Amino acid sequence: MTETGEMTYRRVHRASPELLFDCMTTPEHLTCFWGPAGTTTPLDGIVVDLRPGGTFETTMVGDDGGTYTMKATYAEVRRPERLVWIEPGVEGGMKTTITFRDLGDGRTEVVTHQTNVPAAYLSAEARAGFATSLDRFDAYLAGLNREDT
Amino acid sequence: MTVAEDELSLVFSALADPTRRAILERLAEGDATVSQLTEPFAMTQQAVSKHLKVLERARLITRTRTAQSRPCALDTERLDAAAGWIARHREVWADRHDRLERHLAALRDRDGETP
Repeated sequence: MTETGEMTYRRVHRASPELLFDCMTTPEHLTCFWGPAGTTTPLDGIVVDLRPGGTFETTMVGDDGGTYTMKATYAEVRRPERLVWIEPGVEGGMKTTITFRDLGDGRTEVVTHQTNVPAAYLSAEARAGFATSLDRFDAYLAGLNREDT
Repeated sequence: MTVAEDELSLVFSALADPTRRAILERLAEGDATVSQLTEPFAMTQQAVSKHLKVLERARLITRTRTAQSRPCALDTERLDAAAGWIARHREVWADRHDRLERHLAALRDRDGETP
């Protein structure tokens, strides 16, 4: 697997790390929010075998009845601070790492980190000048920086 | 716009190199020949040509076949697609967390307490 880049998404929720970890790893929770938008993820389409090497599958059903199954394998299961899975079928292996950080005030920061997402944005982000002439990319990176700081 | 993901991989690996990004920056200002592109860089025309081939294969630039000087031009469609690809991935997680937030609120209401 060649790691060519990464993507990070951060979000703070008013809940404990334990609850958030359970939400991400329990079919009864996952069915309520896994999505993505315009799709549902029925309970019977979710497989969670919560151990390193175990299966994580979600079948998402679109408004038009079409389905898409995400097939992943857990690589690391450390309740409540860290969860890692790998989707071997996506671009030579997409690794998703979710970390849960207790902020100590009833809130938890959830950081989703995907690697083997192509390198462009990271390296481009480091070279601030790059995006200036290329409007959409620039606008995109600006949004990214705002969210991440 | 739909672009196959393996095509995007070509785009992203092309963009991973700082010289190639600098070349794209230069082309964003206007078309240029290989010798014009070589000027700002401390490298040979041959080395620049290699980078141009990578960019061309990723379809980030186009080169006129007919003219002797074969000027290079920026082709922004793939770049837009690349930015769109990352944006889509982030959107999935953003939407997911929006729904998770509502789910957590529903759990709080049900339990009548802050978890």
